[in-house]
Amino acid sequence: MSDSRMTRPSNYHRTRWAVWALIWGVVIVSGGSLALNRAAAEEKKAAPAAGGAYRPQKASDEQLAAGAKVYFKKCVWCHGPQGAGDGPGALRLWPRPRNFNQGTFKIRTTGSGELPTDDDLFLTVTNGLPGSAMPAWDGILTEQQRKDVVAFVKTKLVQDRNFQDTEFEEFHVISFDKQVASSPESIKRGLDVFLNKGKCVQCHGPDGRGNGNLTQKDDWGFPIFPANLHQCWNFRGNRRDPYNPRNIFREVSTGLNGTPMPSFIDALSVEERWDVANFVVSLCPKVKIDPITMKPAINFVLTAEHVEGELPATADDPKWNTQEPHFIGLGGQITRKPQNFNRRLDSMWVKALYSKDEIAFLLEWEDRTESHAEGANLPPPFNTADLTIPVAYYANKMVFNEVMPTVYPKDWKSYPQPIIYNDAVAVQFPATWEKFYGTPERPFFIHGDEKKPVDLWKWESDGKVVAYTGHGIEGKTGEDKLEARQVALKAEGAQFKDGVWRVVIKRSLKTDNKDHDVQFEVNKYIPIAFQAWDGDNGEAGAKMALSAWYYVVLKPLTPTKAYVYPFVMGGLLVGLQWWVIRKAKSMQNGHSGTRKK
Amino acid sequence: MATFWRPGMMPIQLLLTIGVTFLIFVIGHTFIKKTFGRGLPMLAQGALTWLAAFTIFKFVISPPIPSSLLYIYMGLITLVIGLFISANEVSWTESKKPIVDTLIGATPLHRGVRAVAFIALPLGFGWGTYTSIAPPKNFPEPPELRTVHPAPPQAIKVQDKQFTLQTSKNPFRVDVKGEYLDVGKEKEFFASNPFDPNAEGYVKYVKEGGEVFFRNCHFCHGDNLDGRGMFAFAFRPIPANLADPGTIAQLQETFVFWRISKGGMNAPREINPWDSAMPPWEEHLKIDDIWKVALFEYWHTEFFPRTWD
Repeated sequence: MSDSRMTRPSNYHRTRWAVWALIWGVVIVSGGSLALNRAAAEEKKAAPAAGGAYRPQKASDEQLAAGAKVYFKKCVWCHGPQGAGDGPGALRLWPRPRNFNQGTFKIRTTGSGELPTDDDLFLTVTNGLPGSAMPAWDGILTEQQRKDVVAFVKTKLVQDRNFQDTEFEEFHVISFDKQVASSPESIKRGLDVFLNKGKCVQCHGPDGRGNGNLTQKDDWGFPIFPANLHQCWNFRGNRRDPYNPRNIFREVSTGLNGTPMPSFIDALSVEERWDVANFVVSLCPKVKIDPITMKPAINFVLTAEHVEGELPATADDPKWNTQEPHFIGLGGQITRKPQNFNRRLDSMWVKALYSKDEIAFLLEWEDRTESHAEGANLPPPFNTADLTIPVAYYANKMVFNEVMPTVYPKDWKSYPQPIIYNDAVAVQFPATWEKFYGTPERPFFIHGDEKKPVDLWKWESDGKVVAYTGHGIEGKTGEDKLEARQVALKAEGAQFKDGVWRVVIKRSLKTDNKDHDVQFEVNKYIPIAFQAWDGDNGEAGAKMALSAWYYVVLKPLTPTKAYVYPFVMGGLLVGLQWWVIRKAKSMQNGHSGTRKK
Repeated sequence: MATFWRPGMMPIQLLLTIGVTFLIFVIGHTFIKKTFGRGLPMLAQGALTWLAAFTIFKFVISPPIPSSLLYIYMGLITLVIGLFISANEVSWTESKKPIVDTLIGATPLHRGVRAVAFIALPLGFGWGTYTSIAPPKNFPEPPELRTVHPAPPQAIKVQDKQFTLQTSKNPFRVDVKGEYLDVGKEKEFFASNPFDPNAEGYVKYVKEGGEVFFRNCHFCHGDNLDGRGMFAFAFRPIPANLADPGTIAQLQETFVFWRISKGGMNAPREINPWDSAMPPWEEHLKIDDIWKVALFEYWHTEFFPRTWD
């Protein structure tokens, strides 16, 4: 073999490299162009009709029959047999399922008050309505089934209007015109539109948290809150593409039929609508979105960073800025009584810092209403599970005495008036996690159990923070078995501002009460869970929003040896290499003797 | 990639993947041999094989294999490649030649490579030492193993009523005359409209079960029973996907009745009951409602419960 090598032409190496470069070039270029093609195809798919007049197709009888089959298997449970949005599921839902009868649809590309296009409805069924119970039916129903069910809904269940009526129904599909790319200038102009020309601030609130006007109702008299613009993953019309300004542009242009959100197609220019869309997108924290849940991706391990000296005293302290906020998902507590099917709070952002002897948690959550308990001795929260009136009515005192659809029991007014409790938040730990460290075992995640207690730190909007030992919630009575303890727990600088609560809770890392107080150790996975209460939603006690168990790890300081050992090891390797090269050279010289460097 | 890997077909698909990779190697090598009159050096072949194996095990296989297993596989493969290269004198000499050439700096190119390696290796080694001592930027989540379907008890007591799981039957699995509907026969009702006001027997009870489901269960298990309800993202373990052939389709109806009545917190230890948000529904619903929900779940997913025979 080595002989043939000798006889090879001198340009052999060059040719070989050229061929390799060619092969790799082809692979890279073809892969890249494939990816580009795909992106282009998706862009094309997402691109709307150019705008202008539109006429819907008339559905065939076969399609209607096929659509009815889908409807009565999948949709009827919430939307009801007549499509009046009054299926069995509707009672406990807020936002309520759509009542199709009036032909009022929120997410459209058509003008204000107009019926939607077939494609609009198809995309709503396909992508679902994030932040509501309506799931994305893509992957569950075939494309044909989704088209069939849309045909059925618009032909048979929309009763007050007729999609085929050429005399009265018009469809003006909006034009997206030339998109204004997001830039600091565009966002700044968007802010100006938000505050002044568009007056978006009046409903969506000074910071866009959806707390500007909480007394509004939809066309059916149900309470409706403006969208919280900081949670783009919960925008109904986000089409599972929450950071895309097109969706905002569309909603600003068309308005949301049936809701107080008007169309701004006449009030604002195309550029202004793009600017405000870019501004709204800029409000939403840029986080990784889980493609399945369409919420921020959850990381179950939270790290507490070490700080030198004192821990921050307030939520505004710049010491917190070293850390990214950690997203915590909250579900309604429905395991024990009283069940909370209608939790208002669905997430929380947490940061943690620790010093030589203390630990601090910054808890930040969005709540449109600042609630303080009215009266001293409040009765426990009413068990809405026993109610047949819609929870939204019960929960929202502002509309409680008003319109009531006939489908609900006549004596609904005899139900107790809703009570306002304190807003509250809690952090929960196993009281003695050391006992089962390394095993999956821990206390029951809802306030512990008989054998394994939890240490629960609960702050309420009256400013008090109390440590409790939790032994679970009694199944039959719903009694929350919490015992208050004396421990030096501090809640500092708690503030409610523009729809956000920020609370800092602090404690020493170690205490003497080792059976009840959680003891913090560096570099250990300590289970932690979070709970929150919206007092205006009648939430108190076990009626709350809660998370699963997470972990908090107190990240250890980088040890000094981490800065020394790498140099030692690197130096050793240099020596070793030098020795090997020497050895190889001497061996080579010894063997052939003819080779020279 | 996920669409390629069918559950249950992984071993065959893995063999296919390896077979295809091998073929690509052989064909590619033959091509190179023909073009240049000489194949790739033994060392390059070994390195390519090693890389291909690593890529397949680390990035291609789904579900991914645990890292400990990956280390064992790669260790074995390294060993085999090493043995193959050093198997005979010719290939050994040929394989070590580029290394020796680099070490002694046979040509300017070799000397360049040697200089780069001389600096880069200690730097990399130092960095590796640092990252192994310094705390990680993100702490990985500790693995948690749990059983999904624990062994059921012989009998359970629900709201003071005794149920023997082997012999109990869903009292609402009945036809219009009230006769027990054998499993499989309900298929003819799968396309029935449960909201038909004249519906009786099975279909009527399916509707009543659906009412219970859509007032209590969909928050977690989802409107399509696929475990993706509104609350699902917040809880762990995530709610059961009833529409998956691996859950209720594998279970007896009485097993489902047991799990609904007693919930997660009262289930055996192997499912990690302390993490489960599944309520013991006997505390919230009537026994009849629980049976009807079970009936509804099979109707909606169009699965048949497992029978004892």
